[in-house]
Amino acid sequence: MAIEREEILPKYWYNIIPDLPKPLPPPRDPPEAEFSRIDLLRKIMPKEVLRQQFTVERFIKIPEEVREAYLNIGRPTPLMRAKRLEEMLNTPAKIYFKFEGATPTGSHKINTALPQAYFARAEGVNHVVTETGAGQWGTAVALAARMYNMESTIFMVKVSYEQKPQRRTVMELYGGKVYASPTNLTEYGKKVLAENPSHPGSLGVAMSEAIEYALANNYRYLVGSVLDVAILHQSVIGQEAMKQMDILGDEPDILIGCVGGGSNFGGFAFPFLGAKRGEKFIAVGSYEIPKFSQGDYMYDFPDSAGLLPMVKMITLGKDYVPPPIYAGGLRYHGAAPSLSLLIRQGMIEWREYSEPEIFEAAKLFAEAQGIVPAPESAHAIKAVIDEALKAKKNNEKKVIVFNLSGHGLLDLPNYELMMKRLSK
Amino acid sequence: MSRILVSYATLGYPKEREYLEFIDGCIREGSDILEIGVPPKYAKYDGPVIRRSYKQVSTWLKDIWPLLKETRNRVKIPIIILTYLEDWLPILDDFLSNLSKIGIDGILFPDLLIDYVDEYEKYVKIIRDHGLKAVIFTAPSVPDPMIQKVSKISDIFLYYGVRPTTGVPIPVSVDSLITRIRILVNNKLVVGFGLSDVEDMRKALRAGADGIAIGTAYIEAIEKGGVQDAINLVKYFRGVLNEF
Ligand SMILES: Cc1ncc(COP(=O)(O)O)c(C=O)c1O
Repeated sequence: MAIEREEILPKYWYNIIPDLPKPLPPPRDPPEAEFSRIDLLRKIMPKEVLRQQFTVERFIKIPEEVREAYLNIGRPTPLMRAKRLEEMLNTPAKIYFKFEGATPTGSHKINTALPQAYFARAEGVNHVVTETGAGQWGTAVALAARMYNMESTIFMVKVSYEQKPQRRTVMELYGGKVYASPTNLTEYGKKVLAENPSHPGSLGVAMSEAIEYALANNYRYLVGSVLDVAILHQSVIGQEAMKQMDILGDEPDILIGCVGGGSNFGGFAFPFLGAKRGEKFIAVGSYEIPKFSQGDYMYDFPDSAGLLPMVKMITLGKDYVPPPIYAGGLRYHGAAPSLSLLIRQGMIEWREYSEPEIFEAAKLFAEAQGIVPAPESAHAIKAVIDEALKAKKNNEKKVIVFNLSGHGLLDLPNYELMMKRLSK
Repeated sequence: MSRILVSYATLGYPKEREYLEFIDGCIREGSDILEIGVPPKYAKYDGPVIRRSYKQVSTWLKDIWPLLKETRNRVKIPIIILTYLEDWLPILDDFLSNLSKIGIDGILFPDLLIDYVDEYEKYVKIIRDHGLKAVIFTAPSVPDPMIQKVSKISDIFLYYGVRPTTGVPIPVSVDSLITRIRILVNNKLVVGFGLSDVEDMRKALRAGADGIAIGTAYIEAIEKGGVQDAINLVKYFRGVLNEF
């Protein structure tokens, strides 16, 4: 068994940049920049992570130590057939899902937290910093830091900090220091608090605090999504899934994933796209945060405070304030540059679903497969159901594969609230 | 044949007299091609050092033409203008005609393949119709088939910027980047963007670059020690190229 696992786990990360149909517009500094954000990256990101962010090698070797860590957290994650779901939908389509919720932190985020922490440690860093909204990314960073004997500080959006005490507990169990952002630990946090002492916090504020804190202490900042390097590391998902499909002797027709910043979708779908496997790719966002339907394709900041370099992406604008929806991980104003380009080139389709639709899909999936999906991942499930029903209507034996980016066992308060809202 | 040294200067930086001194020094110390940066409104793909130089020049240089003419008169080697297409679009014909009239050889728009990728062939034609050479700027993010295609139509040489911006030493694997594109490029290949580290430079040349383009390092030298320091750098870089 162990040997088989090692064979499924890839030895290289896959980078889609050289396989894009058009040049990927590079990050850039704003017109009248008082300081260079691109230069700032050198101070906050581990050197090797930054090199990988700007590389164009198609395949990048995964360090042996990182492969070991991947095995240690239970990679490869299972690729499972959703047989009961097929039966309940009475569809001729076959449905498979890659279960990233099977990792210790419950989502795909650990796939990039591990190598980033490893590269930070390798250059002698002993402390990493990040922000977290709903808590998935912060949890992954706290564990990855601990695995390489580093300290971690996590700026958690204040409302989540208060509403999601379990997430905080997990991070603290791993040895992470968790602060409700805005804090008094940074100049930016102080400024925000001075203007509004009861500020609820936001991802943008937390991100700015994390970056400032890392800079001030010469720690390193780990990036959870959006940037190319996060998608690169997530490519283990898609590459494993390709091998697992081979073992099963099946070929995918339709590939589906949800999109916050784009890292789990890209990590899952890009290896298939690059290998020219699959005929239809569907990226799913939230109806309440309508970046695909209403966003512009333009240069914008990844973070609300504008500390990171501008990138060209589909975006609602960095100042867009997302409504406090059920799926915290999708509350992001933009989509990764490579994903945005592929959507604009028509190579990837998109869908947007609303709360009642995704709640129904999540419930159906839980009843069918016994797994409570993360609300983010339930967006992918809704698209899967739609495609499976379409296959039924057309009597087509489509093979649908989707990425179940996380489980929802720490999102139960969200589900409770959803049930209350929707039963009214 | 020896490798090509492309020396960059921001037009009029830091002041007219020093600028001309630097140009003269560039020629004396063995530059093969002169690249002159005309300050744009928004130097989208330039780093902090070159941006500083643009800003400084913009405080006093109101009319670029007399100084461009003067540059042309002093220099026999090819002169390529570097500026952003975005800025000149509204008056592109006039701009190109003027450059051509005063005897400038070619033009390089770093934003051509990035922001005007669907129309680049049209703009290459417009540039050539004005009697100018079109030097094309590429970067690692340009897909292989496109590098192959544009390398053939780029005049004088193909420019390849190895970093996402000028003058910020982002860690990149210069050798593997150049090894990869050397086989795609059927033209002279000049590499730039943050190539002031001589080890990077040697790596680039070993990997098959025909030349290097230097800019930020000169401006930094002028900032720190004055024009003569920058001229000494030209001499030093010439020496590195002559190793090959
Ligand atoms: C379970 C889960 N899925 C998906 C996402 C969306 O992020 P991304 O698109 O960057 O993968 C998140 C983000 O927090 C998440 O926690």
